[in-house]
Amino acid sequence: MKFHFFHLMPYPDLPDDFRERYHGVWVDLPAAELFDPMTGHQAYNDYLDELEFADQVGFDGICVNEHHQNAYGLMPSPNLMMAALARRTTRSKLIVMGDSVALYNPPTRVAEETAMLDVLSGGRLVAGFPVGTPMDTVYCYGETPATLRDKYREGVQLVLRAWQATEPFAFNGRYTQLRYVNIWPRPMQKPHPPVWIPGGGSVETWDWCADHNFLYAYLSYFGYLRARRVMEGFWEAVERRNLEPNPYRAGFLQFVGVADNDAEAERLYARHALYFYNRCLHLYPGFTSPPGYTSLATIRQGIEGQIKLAADRNKELQDLTWPQILERGYVVAGSPDSVVQQLTEMEETLRVGHLMVLLHFGDMPRDTVFYNTRRFAEEVVPRLRPMWSEWRDEWWPATETPSPSGRGLG
Amino acid sequence: MAESVALGGNRQAVVHRAGEGSAVVWLHSLYGVDADAPVINALARRYSVFAPVAPGFSDLAELDEIRDIHDLALHYDDVLEALDLSSPVVAGHSFGAMVAAELAAHVPKRVSRLVLLSPLGLWNDRYPVTDLFGVPPAEVPAMLYADTTLAPGSGPQPDVESVISLVRGMTTVARFLWPIPDRGISRRLHRVRAPTLVVHGQEDRFVPAAYVNDWLALLPDARGEVIPGAGHMLTVEALDRTLAAVEAFLGQVEAFA
Repeated sequence: MKFHFFHLMPYPDLPDDFRERYHGVWVDLPAAELFDPMTGHQAYNDYLDELEFADQVGFDGICVNEHHQNAYGLMPSPNLMMAALARRTTRSKLIVMGDSVALYNPPTRVAEETAMLDVLSGGRLVAGFPVGTPMDTVYCYGETPATLRDKYREGVQLVLRAWQATEPFAFNGRYTQLRYVNIWPRPMQKPHPPVWIPGGGSVETWDWCADHNFLYAYLSYFGYLRARRVMEGFWEAVERRNLEPNPYRAGFLQFVGVADNDAEAERLYARHALYFYNRCLHLYPGFTSPPGYTSLATIRQGIEGQIKLAADRNKELQDLTWPQILERGYVVAGSPDSVVQQLTEMEETLRVGHLMVLLHFGDMPRDTVFYNTRRFAEEVVPRLRPMWSEWRDEWWPATETPSPSGRGLG
Repeated sequence: MAESVALGGNRQAVVHRAGEGSAVVWLHSLYGVDADAPVINALARRYSVFAPVAPGFSDLAELDEIRDIHDLALHYDDVLEALDLSSPVVAGHSFGAMVAAELAAHVPKRVSRLVLLSPLGLWNDRYPVTDLFGVPPAEVPAMLYADTTLAPGSGPQPDVESVISLVRGMTTVARFLWPIPDRGISRRLHRVRAPTLVVHGQEDRFVPAAYVNDWLALLPDARGEVIPGAGHMLTVEALDRTLAAVEAFLGQVEAFA
């Protein structure tokens, strides 16, 4: 199994009466009123320290992502964050999770920036391509919901072709038309960096990932119990194609808190988890379901997107308690034994080779994040590591040695 | 009565027909042609009404070919050609009124009289159109109706197919309205030849009534009427007063074929 440290980079200073005063954390939350640049400065630097620490304690990958106009995650540009990390890490693979391809005009920008990151890092890049949430894509970036997915897929195909083309080509797409495509630099990894697709439960995404041999990652805040149905859908799509059910085709995201015991876990992590669920997931229902964003097939299937799920649960999240968070599996927390046991059960249920963990919750202070990260790396990872070792991971950079670093000033 | 008419490019259009008399083409509102039955039936008492179903409303795949507002305007030109309607009255409500105005601007000779009821399509920074797609479904009636008791009841939980049908319609509408409903019509309205009537509800919380003035300023030959007490859904909330305004307008001008 592989383990990746995922950071959401939330804004850590939302007021206690946030839910009463603002209708949501995304799109139109007044930045001039709530965003303090000094708080942001400290947060960015703490968060990058935490990601660098994850590299030092042996995480296989470190992950950042892209969101716009919100206090849930301060990363409109994941590539900027990863560029900073590429210079300060040597071992972890760099998982950009990822660039919302439809929002880049032209999408060759994504091919260029990911190639830059791959070359800069010595071939450590994993390129994630999410569609993007409705808030990010439709409400913040003005994308037409009905054409978003089609535009996204065309963009991904353009990026793949731009990475690999052996000569300049013209691209006559429905959404992008370019006379000359010829990116400089080209990625270091051949034929190209691994492609991971973060999904929220869309039916079409399962088939698309299986058809193109992309890794499918389900990013859920609502626990592995609820994720079972989504992952089953993906594994059925794999089976329909007679592909091997290699667990490394799949990834999953989980909040984890490691402590001496349950009481210490509550003391260290509870209020920060509640900050995340109460404030960072306070989504205005008007911004979660633009018509056309969810395909008719997915509506028929009755699988609700992550985002809509969070919005529909808004009231429930308001009254959420730490025991409920644990009972429902939103957060896996406790002693190392307890965490190992819960994650083993999760692994057996979901069959994922790539476990992305969130060890920073909401407004957790840096020291607590370091504590949680070290304990996870030292007391949990080694015991789960052997799982799935009979399978070969084809969705991972082949680069095994530490990447070449700078020459320094000497 | 509905019939399917064949268009070029292997396309088809479903057109509902009712009544006898001079031809009036009705372009439906946000909720499709069935939801407009009251106004269609009322018009059918005096006119021969042709009500095409907008592309996308019954099959989203139709939007593969009808991608932008120009495709849509020319699609309706094709539909009227197939129906042998050389220059009928063209009327529409809300989204339908926007399409009617686009048709009249793209192909001026196709339209003899133009009736725009609570039209979308313009944008004024001083009184922006409310974001129909940025409110929870439960709040939509308060945006569309001055008197929300006239909105379709919440009733029992709708079945999956009616939800799908609603989503299909709104997906189509969003394709042509999102994020800003002005798709350039303000640059084209000078082309419209048809005498035009613009009717708006005074209490419209979706498209403010002040937009009547923007339409009158841009259309070469237009008159406006604002109906007190009515919201966006004129054809539900103020059907009689709306029809009276339409019939007075059509009666003022000489008989049409």
